[in-house]
Amino acid sequence: MTTIITKMVARICLPLVILFSISLLLAGHNAPGGGFIGGVMFACIISLAYIAYGLEEIKKSYNPNWSSWFGFGLLLAAITAFSPLIFGHNFFRSAVEFLHLPIAGEIELVSAGVFDIGVYFVVIGSLLTIFKMAGEDQ
Amino acid sequence: MVLNMDPFISVSLAIFLPFLLALTIPAVAKLIKYQVGWYATCVAILSFLLITSTAPSILYGKTLHQSIAWLPSMGIDYGIYADGLSTMFGIIVTGIGILIIFYSNAYMNKKEDLPRYYQWLLLFMGSMLGMVFSANTIMLFIFWELTSITSFMLIGYWRNKPESVYGATKSLLITASADLFMLVGFIILKSITGSFDIPTILNSSSLIQSVKGHELFLPTLLLIFIGAAAKSAQGPFYIWLPNAMEAPTPVSAFLHSATMVKAGIYLVARIHPIFSGTEAWFIIISGTGIITMLVAGFLAFRQTDIKALLAYSTISQLAYLMTMYGYTSYEEPGLGVAAATFHLLNHATFKACLFLVAGIVAHEAATRDLTRLGGLKREMPITFIIASIGALSMAGIPPLNGFLSKEMFYESSLQMGHVLGGIYVYLIPGLAVLGGIFTFAYSVKFVTAIFLGPRPNKGLPERIHDPSIIMIIPPAILAILIVLFGLIPSIPIDNLISPAVSSILMQSQELHVQLWHGLTTSLLMTMITFLFGILMYTKYDVIAHWQNNINHKYPFLSINYFYDAFVNNAKGIFTQISSRIQPGPIKRYVVSLLLLLILLFIIPILYLSADIIPQFNFNIHPYEALVFIFMIVAALGAATLPKYLQAVLSLSALGYLVALMFIYLSAPDLALTQVLVETLSTLIFIIAIMKIPQTFKESISKFTFLKDAIISITVASVVLLLMLNANQGIIPPFESLSYYFIEKSLSLAGGHNIVNVIIVDFRGYDTLGEISVMCLAALGVYNIIQSRGENQ
Repeated sequence: MTTIITKMVARICLPLVILFSISLLLAGHNAPGGGFIGGVMFACIISLAYIAYGLEEIKKSYNPNWSSWFGFGLLLAAITAFSPLIFGHNFFRSAVEFLHLPIAGEIELVSAGVFDIGVYFVVIGSLLTIFKMAGEDQ
Repeated sequence: MVLNMDPFISVSLAIFLPFLLALTIPAVAKLIKYQVGWYATCVAILSFLLITSTAPSILYGKTLHQSIAWLPSMGIDYGIYADGLSTMFGIIVTGIGILIIFYSNAYMNKKEDLPRYYQWLLLFMGSMLGMVFSANTIMLFIFWELTSITSFMLIGYWRNKPESVYGATKSLLITASADLFMLVGFIILKSITGSFDIPTILNSSSLIQSVKGHELFLPTLLLIFIGAAAKSAQGPFYIWLPNAMEAPTPVSAFLHSATMVKAGIYLVARIHPIFSGTEAWFIIISGTGIITMLVAGFLAFRQTDIKALLAYSTISQLAYLMTMYGYTSYEEPGLGVAAATFHLLNHATFKACLFLVAGIVAHEAATRDLTRLGGLKREMPITFIIASIGALSMAGIPPLNGFLSKEMFYESSLQMGHVLGGIYVYLIPGLAVLGGIFTFAYSVKFVTAIFLGPRPNKGLPERIHDPSIIMIIPPAILAILIVLFGLIPSIPIDNLISPAVSSILMQSQELHVQLWHGLTTSLLMTMITFLFGILMYTKYDVIAHWQNNINHKYPFLSINYFYDAFVNNAKGIFTQISSRIQPGPIKRYVVSLLLLLILLFIIPILYLSADIIPQFNFNIHPYEALVFIFMIVAALGAATLPKYLQAVLSLSALGYLVALMFIYLSAPDLALTQVLVETLSTLIFIIAIMKIPQTFKESISKFTFLKDAIISITVASVVLLLMLNANQGIIPPFESLSYYFIEKSLSLAGGHNIVNVIIVDFRGYDTLGEISVMCLAALGVYNIIQSRGENQ
């Protein structure tokens, strides 16, 4: 499975796909994309790397605890859901704010975007936990 | 200490600070390692200060009752009710809590999982405080359950010991299932009085009268009492407490002698104004109390483990309290209540002290077996003195505090017997004395078996000595309190007991207790107790031997026998049922799902579309037709190819073709998702099949093949029928939801991508649920793979 071609493709694609997945996440509110798609894309490229170089090889240099990623994501999503209560609004009330920055131009800040980031982490964490467990299992 | 906070806020802080700071313990533990116990001690001190800062005004008769609306539609509030009773409990809980956590610093091994231990201790303390200060029965119930859960975690602290797990499970099963009865009792109480708010009921004599006159009076009382009795290990529910002794000893001292097991007593005292003064109250509460007192006191003889002995003595002492709260006569209701409340405080001091001594002995001598201990007086002089004070107070020897409250117990028993008349004049005091005799005998045994007599040469370490100062201070403080309360009873009586008794009886009470109160009948009863107690002590081993024999011959005489039979049978039966429902092979699940699908769809379709003939007037674009043909080829390949890898690849080809269709139908989000999910699932699939032989080995019998083919074809035709009929007016036309989202997406949520806006905003609640399911799925896979490894 691990030919030199797969390895090279994985190496080149890894940074690009990760950036693309982040851009999908951030653009999701107005263009195709979103936390779920971004997360699955991230999980895909990491699994490609695992396959191309072998789980053990990758673990030597980079071995995050994926299960803590989905814990963090769920926490973030739940905080976003509950935080409007502090300001006296309803559960899950979203807020939109437009920022005008000198160079970047108009930037839209949406509280639902934070929720989407939570989704992103949950998807990455749970998919890669499953993938890694399945791969490690003898 | 300047704490001029609003009492409502400071009590709330005292409850919730332990919860919040318990969350910080793992972080603190990284900084200061095993010293984290001192941090937990500080938290307990903080709660103690917060409660004592509000105490003075409450103890002078000003009760605090304040609520914030929580679920106004249900009549449930977050409410604090602080009166003499709850403040006394608050002070006992935090005071003993400080001593216990302080003591744990030396008791617990530095290699243990300390953050978990202190976290649960603090969570318990917060729950207990929340319970005693709750103004609302539902809030009380929630905190009550939290104490059960924290107790479960602490009993099962040593997870690898089967006895710990057994004890923890037993305590949770018994207390939590009994608590459900209590919840029903609270709900009936609410339906009678129209309020969940305890002070509202207590302060309204018309409501109390309506409860007493109601036809559901007895069921309500019984239901609530079942919860209280299970928590306080009374009646048949006592069996969980001896097994709970598997917890670390400081935990036993804190939860299972001084505080948590008194929650049931607290509840009985709390509802005293509502239910007392009736025959049912006396029979249920005192009846259970007297029987438990005698049985548990008697069974204590058999125990050879120090902690088991103390557990049975705790059950018996709690039964004293129950009995006394149950004494209600119309002439002098205050006597029993005052005696109970005083004994409650005294029991907390001497029993916590004895447990801490048991911990010291186990820590230094490495055994808790009474038959292997003895003669440690010379090696552990300080411990010996402290243990003697505690045990003699429990036995009721003057001038210690246990003597005073036992005298009051006898006095109230005499009076109750006198009120009832008939044979009760002798029966009730007689039973009380019998309970006292048992207590005397095992209290003396506690000291003599550990500290006096010859020192066994076998099984004890060469050199035993008094423990470090950290472990001496907490029991020493308690021992000093025991002596102090005995010599100058006005200190606790004026400051804690009188306010508590006043708030139970709902009228102000002046109590006077003196060490020497003349030659009364109760003093005579004490003399009898000592005399027969000494006699019984001389026959101690004979009785224990006899009990062992009986237990050996007739195992079904014990309640544990029934508990074990019940739990084991339940386990067996449900293993059988679940192995029928969930046999294992995935194929059977899939088949049953598909059959259900056929049933659910075929009937309505045939019923509704009987007279509608499907029309086949579709415009299929050539490009679409091409994709469809490929899809059919891929599907056939997945079904017929001989190797797993080929079949899986064929299946994923089908998935990519579906994505292609999505693009053609202008749904880029869906297409992207489909491609990515397909990729990932193919990868996982491949990883899984790499580990098994690559060809289908099993030969499929013709019958199975036929069956599978029929099922597949039926499902496919049903789906086809459904699709053909979907547009034919079976479902009445309705306004499509999508217009709403298209319209409001930008204005309400500020997003152009409707799919995403629906996911994260309009239906965000659903998404939160879905990602929680995803996390659970990942945890499930993790557990399945891990546990499968263990089985091999």
